[in-house]
Amino acid sequence: MDRSGWRPPLAVLVMVGLVLLVVTVLVTVTIGPAEIAVPDVARSIAGHLGLGDAGVPRLVDAIVWDLRLPRVLTAAAVGAGLALAGAVMQSLTRNALADPYLLGLSSGASLGAVAVLILGVGLLLPVAAFAGALVALVATLALARTHGVLTPGRAVLAGLAVSQLCAAGTSFVIFWTATGDSYREIISWLMGSLAGTTWSSVAISGVALLLVGAVLLASAVRLDAFAFGDTSAAALGIDVERTRWTLMTLVALLTGAMVAVSGAIGFIGLVLPHAVSVVTGPAHRRLLPVAALAGAVFLIWADTAARTVFDPRELPVGIITALVGVPVFAVLLRRGRGAAWS
Amino acid sequence: MELTIDGVRTRLGGRWVVDGIDATPPTGALTGLLGPNGSGKTTLLRLIAGLLTPEGGAVLVGRADPDPAAAPVPVHTLGRRARARRIALLEQESASTVPLSVREVVALGRIPYRTLWGADPDDGAVDRALDNARATHLADRAWSDLSGGERQRVHIARALAQEPDLLLLDEPTNHLDVSAQLSVLAFVRGLPTTTVAALHDLNLAATFCDHVLVLSDGHLAAAGDPREVLRPDLIRAVYGVDCDVLTHPRTGRPVIAFAAQEPARDTSHSRETTLEDAR
Repeated sequence: MDRSGWRPPLAVLVMVGLVLLVVTVLVTVTIGPAEIAVPDVARSIAGHLGLGDAGVPRLVDAIVWDLRLPRVLTAAAVGAGLALAGAVMQSLTRNALADPYLLGLSSGASLGAVAVLILGVGLLLPVAAFAGALVALVATLALARTHGVLTPGRAVLAGLAVSQLCAAGTSFVIFWTATGDSYREIISWLMGSLAGTTWSSVAISGVALLLVGAVLLASAVRLDAFAFGDTSAAALGIDVERTRWTLMTLVALLTGAMVAVSGAIGFIGLVLPHAVSVVTGPAHRRLLPVAALAGAVFLIWADTAARTVFDPRELPVGIITALVGVPVFAVLLRRGRGAAWS
Repeated sequence: MELTIDGVRTRLGGRWVVDGIDATPPTGALTGLLGPNGSGKTTLLRLIAGLLTPEGGAVLVGRADPDPAAAPVPVHTLGRRARARRIALLEQESASTVPLSVREVVALGRIPYRTLWGADPDDGAVDRALDNARATHLADRAWSDLSGGERQRVHIARALAQEPDLLLLDEPTNHLDVSAQLSVLAFVRGLPTTTVAALHDLNLAATFCDHVLVLSDGHLAAAGDPREVLRPDLIRAVYGVDCDVLTHPRTGRPVIAFAAQEPARDTSHSRETTLEDAR
């Protein structure tokens, strides 16, 4: 059914992805300074879900349920959300390099988040991050558009400029207001970090992922229609302007929610969709769910490495994703698929 | 499908790019849309496709139901999906960076028929479109590996997958070698759909089209059978070039032989005058 002859059925890919995700969650929760076994993790979770008596020591239960599980689940939601955001942006802008991080959305969201943090209204954090992402998106597109045409090369350059400006703004706000270790704080917003995540992080990122993700999945066919550009999509019966702005706003919303709980983690949105499309092919009905699952699994492992490899010191997880992502970025650039990169 | 272009006019960037065109391309035939760069060919195609709403006039299409008494409807009032099931437009130089297979490209033409979850109610439509466009042998190739002529054939298969009554082509022979140009147009002429193709090459239009519309500065300069319309005086008035029109010894179709000349330095005023003369 395609040029490589055979692509696995979507149901198989999703099942494999789900099994991998569950195994990843159970295994990574055991990894850390305190040795915990997988059965203890399962029993602790079962206990909290009301599925029988926990029977695990209280300290173990607290480590699993209060510390590690929220962090692992937040990583899963953020990884899935960023992978979806990248896949959708790449299709809407017809730019293989479009992702929320490179287009400046993530740093815009960080700036929005730290701006309300200094006001001390934690509840507004995701809203402010969304607003920051949206402003950054509009600024990038306004800079990149020439005569109404969005050229891929300009989009990335404009995103770079917006991203740098927002990063400088974020650093300045934190430097000006932080009382303690401001550099650690700056790094965790600009490079991304899942340290200190709680169940409310899980709620923010999880709800955003489920709501926005459902709409994006329902838009899969319309995203396919953009393969040959706007006119071609319009001729196939798509309302091009409405679809583009609705979906871009949703991507900004998703990015804002993810950045609000984890800072600006780069390269997931860039790399995962490309890697996954090798297996799924480019049809979004197949690509989007698999990219989300892959993003979740990838970020959980990246974050597990970030918190354990240099134990007791913790790396910002963005360093890990960049270490994996930049080589892939380089390969994409070298392969340069013709006009799209000019 | 019956198509009537009724006094359509529209501006782009303040200029009247299409300025009051009346025409009735014959049903089920191949109509060539001719005219120099900037004469409004692409904009007229977009108006016919319903992608632009005219500021004045309307493009009328026959109703889908076969009731002969049913009045034609303005194309821009059709719903988007309903329109995409009846009208297919292939734009000029349609390229993609998405690594699609040929079958996936053709399947894009089924989007107007798909359900929310992407299911196609007609499983065989893609195969039929590939077969009709004689592109079945390409089905499993990567789109990016195809030659220009093969790509155009696949684009036509994609358009046929929309099962249109009206097929609109913008420069379908651009950048193709001569054999691919001939085979694409011969194929298109054989289709039962009403087809309108913007063409640069007057000899291709003279060879293949049943009917031509010649545009000049957003106006219709001439319309009719290419054997009657493509005369040296009209070509001089519209394109500003000197030529003779011969008759092909075997096909009897017109052959336009261009004569080398000094670069034309017509002002727009004198060009209007010669156009009037030609009429």
